[in-house]
Amino acid sequence: MLYLIGLGLCDLTDITVKGLEIVKKCEKVYLEHYTSVLYNVSDNIEKLEDFYSKKVLLADREMVESQSDEILDGSVDGDIAFLVVGDPLGATTHTDLILRAIQRGIKYKIVHNASIMNAVGCCGLQLYNFGETVSIPLWTENWKPSSFMDKILANKKRGLHTLCLLDIKVKEKSLEAMMKGKVAYEPPRFMKTNEAASQIIESFETLDQKEYDGVLDESSYCIGLARVGSDDQSIVRCGLSQMVNEDLGKPLHCLVIEGNLHPLEADMLALFTK
Amino acid sequence: MVNFTVDEIREMMNRKRSIRNMSVIAHVDHGKSTLTDSLVSKAGIIAGTKAGEMRFTDTRKDEQERCITIKSTAISMYFELDEPDLAFIKEESQRDKDVKGFLINLIDSPGHVDFSSEVTAALRVTDGALVVVDCVSGVCVQTETVLRQAIAERIKPVLFMNKVDLALLTLQLDAEDLYQKFTRIVENVNVIIATYADDAGPMGDIKVDPSKGSVGFGSGLHGWAFTLKQFAEIYADKFKTDPQRLMTKFWGENFYNPQTRKWSTKQDVGYVRGFCNFVLDPIYKVFKAIMDFKKDEISKLLEKLNIVLKGDDKEKDGKNLLKVVMRTWLPAGDALLQMIAIHLPSPVTAQRYRMEMLYEGPHDDEAAVAIKNCDPNGPLMMYISKMVPTSDKGRFYAFGRVFSGIVASGQKVRIMGPNYIPGKKEDLTEKAIQRTVLMMGRNVEPIENVPSGNICGLVGVDQFLVKTGTITTFKDAHNLKVMKFSVSPVVRVAVEPKNAADLPKLVEGLKRLAKSDPMVQCIIEESGEHIVAGAGELHLEICLKDLEEDHAQIPIKTSDPVVSYRETVSEESGVMCLSKSPNKHNRLFMKAVPMPEGLAEDIDKGDVSSKDDFKARARYLVEKYEWDATEARKIWSFGPEATGPNLLVDVTKGVQYLNEIKDSVVAGFQWASKESVLCDENMRGIRFNIYDVTLHADAIHRGGGQIIPTARRCVFACVLTAAPRLLEPVYLVEIQCPEQAVGGIYSVLNRRRGVVFEEAQIPGTPMFVVKAHLPVNESFGFTADLRSSTGGQAFPQCVFDHWQILPGDPLDGKSRPYTIVMDTRKRKGLKESLPDLEQYLDKL
Repeated sequence: MLYLIGLGLCDLTDITVKGLEIVKKCEKVYLEHYTSVLYNVSDNIEKLEDFYSKKVLLADREMVESQSDEILDGSVDGDIAFLVVGDPLGATTHTDLILRAIQRGIKYKIVHNASIMNAVGCCGLQLYNFGETVSIPLWTENWKPSSFMDKILANKKRGLHTLCLLDIKVKEKSLEAMMKGKVAYEPPRFMKTNEAASQIIESFETLDQKEYDGVLDESSYCIGLARVGSDDQSIVRCGLSQMVNEDLGKPLHCLVIEGNLHPLEADMLALFTK
Repeated sequence: MVNFTVDEIREMMNRKRSIRNMSVIAHVDHGKSTLTDSLVSKAGIIAGTKAGEMRFTDTRKDEQERCITIKSTAISMYFELDEPDLAFIKEESQRDKDVKGFLINLIDSPGHVDFSSEVTAALRVTDGALVVVDCVSGVCVQTETVLRQAIAERIKPVLFMNKVDLALLTLQLDAEDLYQKFTRIVENVNVIIATYADDAGPMGDIKVDPSKGSVGFGSGLHGWAFTLKQFAEIYADKFKTDPQRLMTKFWGENFYNPQTRKWSTKQDVGYVRGFCNFVLDPIYKVFKAIMDFKKDEISKLLEKLNIVLKGDDKEKDGKNLLKVVMRTWLPAGDALLQMIAIHLPSPVTAQRYRMEMLYEGPHDDEAAVAIKNCDPNGPLMMYISKMVPTSDKGRFYAFGRVFSGIVASGQKVRIMGPNYIPGKKEDLTEKAIQRTVLMMGRNVEPIENVPSGNICGLVGVDQFLVKTGTITTFKDAHNLKVMKFSVSPVVRVAVEPKNAADLPKLVEGLKRLAKSDPMVQCIIEESGEHIVAGAGELHLEICLKDLEEDHAQIPIKTSDPVVSYRETVSEESGVMCLSKSPNKHNRLFMKAVPMPEGLAEDIDKGDVSSKDDFKARARYLVEKYEWDATEARKIWSFGPEATGPNLLVDVTKGVQYLNEIKDSVVAGFQWASKESVLCDENMRGIRFNIYDVTLHADAIHRGGGQIIPTARRCVFACVLTAAPRLLEPVYLVEIQCPEQAVGGIYSVLNRRRGVVFEEAQIPGTPMFVVKAHLPVNESFGFTADLRSSTGGQAFPQCVFDHWQILPGDPLDGKSRPYTIVMDTRKRKGLKESLPDLEQYLDKL
């Protein structure tokens, strides 16, 4: 049996009771280690191991994408836990792993947990009023995709909020090294709300003015959220151009572009407005 | 010899209209260096004890021993034209009004094809070329190669027919036959010029024409030469006419009747061709009288020609006397230097039309304008074309041409390598120039500064440039264009030190070797092997000798030479190739097809290039190769190195956000086309079509990390499913030999998979020319083999010609290409088995 278990947002103890019980009886425990990190645990895997009284194996991108057979091999006869920060099928998708498991006749179960997709409600915006979620990738010198703008604008035109997930690079292969046939990893990077805001502003240049005129501009309000679910979570609401200068501190961050506000939403947001 | 001080030379350098920068180019053994000697002895500037010695420009010991030029060498000369001759110079930009003298910077370059890169480097810094052709063997393969290069660089040619003495003494041709031989050579040269240059082009009509004086005749060895101008001047008084008008009568279909003293354009009875009657006849008479030892006639002739013999010369007879007489009568230096001063362009003239070929930046910025006007007051723009070793081991003079501004000792400049991109910091160094020097054959003279239009060397720049580069003082300057070589490094050997402890010395030596030669490549393979790649066997031999004796100074071991191969496909991919990204959310659908014949060559030549306007390029592809018009506009990339002969074409329909992954797909394609799937060699002649793309909804999940390796895998799958083949390099071999040696040539070529495609007698000689295609792989030891099979009578010239499919399927374990793939993989330290399609092709 393959168990995909959500770990929640922040702390060791965010795991559900059901999830914890399963982890304890599993033969092998993998922690997915590239789409998100547990803020209060981060790289300190010993803390997890102590808490579960189990050995925990780190599964990086390469392992999950290219060598998933190793994970699946164990689940043919035994029980394997695959831990995912947040919800297993929430912000990031591990459907490929499930499909491959089914192909090999392996059964699976999912243990859900909180994800940023629902926890974002903490800022006061109603989940019902969110449109499509987008990710904002970390730009490189030559790679500056701005397709997220299309979706933000489409949501905004319909009065909907947009949740922007911000790129993280935990253990990415360096492209330069890859082209030389070597394996080297880039240092970990996490996008912050100020970077996201400045990329959005820069993206205006790539668009036709009539696409965003009257819909979105530099003064449009956005909400920056950091370390949601932890004791020191931080929420700030201000204009996009002001967000560029706000530092919300340690990762993980996400950003919401406001749509039309319900009076109650507005009241709640007032608490965070700068 | 004129004895000039450096100050006097420096003064001449300011007279930019009276400067001629020229190179001497020719086929090997057509007598360039010997001819250059006669110029140097007439007009060389720095007098020294060595002056007048044979082969002045061959500065290296091995050059003198082998009697072959290996490195190009620069020499400056000073020459004054007489008042009547100055009248021949009509354009204002061709002469400084108040001076009669000309500063001629001459570069003697090698004739052997293996050293063509030296010719390219020489052409870049000069504006004119003296093309030397042996009038016995005529226009040869290397004559055409170098002439073509010259024209591509917008270098104006003048022609010199060398070895006329041989034609007279050994061939015993009569005057009319000799004239016909000359015309044929002139025509051949003009055909080449017409093929590669346009009369309507910015250089104007650059064809050579004896009646205009841009063709010289003579013998470099004997030190005599003339153009029609010399003879026209002799007769001008007699005919009471202008020499320039007479010159036109002395060439072509103009006939003279000595009895009636009338000219005609038809050869009626009693009429003799002007050239034969007025030019060849006197020469024949001198030759005949002297070679037949007719004392009376000789003294009569000498009197007529106003030749007074001095001292020892009076006692000479036969060939020696002939040499003295001809040399005194028609001194080679005068005729040639006049031809150079009158017909070759000054930097002012030349840079006006060369700027657009030289400068990569916008053609109206400060640097471009200064180059165009050859303006010494503009920003400094200098091109370094090669590195010349100094007496100080491991250090080099950076040799090049100042196109604008002034380069000076101590000046702070920007040194930009070929990879410099304006606005970025890569390949850019800001440093002061330690010293500027004049390069004069084997001598070097320090000089304070050098203005635009001149050639010089720099000290203290070598460690910032690999081989070539641009030196400027202008912050926004773009690069001067990188030179395009006509040969490519297709022959390679692995080197290692005999004593393992010497490895650091070898590595250092290889670095120096790479600097000292414009063409050689020194590479480290993944297996750790050090590879030296050169244009041919001779080139490699010289490089390795230099490496052992000069650059590394340690004993080295070399492997047998191997050639580099290319990987291509022979059919369209049998299936639609799908590759999924690691996260499985992105899918690429592609196919490979062989390019139409000729397109890869067009890309090599630059007729189709990544820099073209995409509309013009599409039109070309549609017209010449019948491409679909929409597809022809959607070429994403050339590869490898963004310029190579493989194409990535987008034939998708309506895929959203395709542009976002374009760079990543292109990067994967670049990577794959550089190190292809069979044995890590470059790809060639493959077109990859992208049919469809499935993308994850979110940009984060389709970044470079996901797409680049996927594109590479997909390209590999395309190649493996399209009947992959190996291409091997093939030489064009030209062999000159007497008839009885032809049989021997055939048997050697047959043994080596060579194919003869032309065999012809050189008109008017007993010599034969055999032309054949010979795989480079079979060419090792070819020259020696040929010599022994023909009793030393046959001499081959091998030029890289094209790539050819090596018959056989490399995926078939018993084929020849398979063996080569395996050997190459072993040498490169790759897994020694065929690549597995499963690794690259995914299932839907």
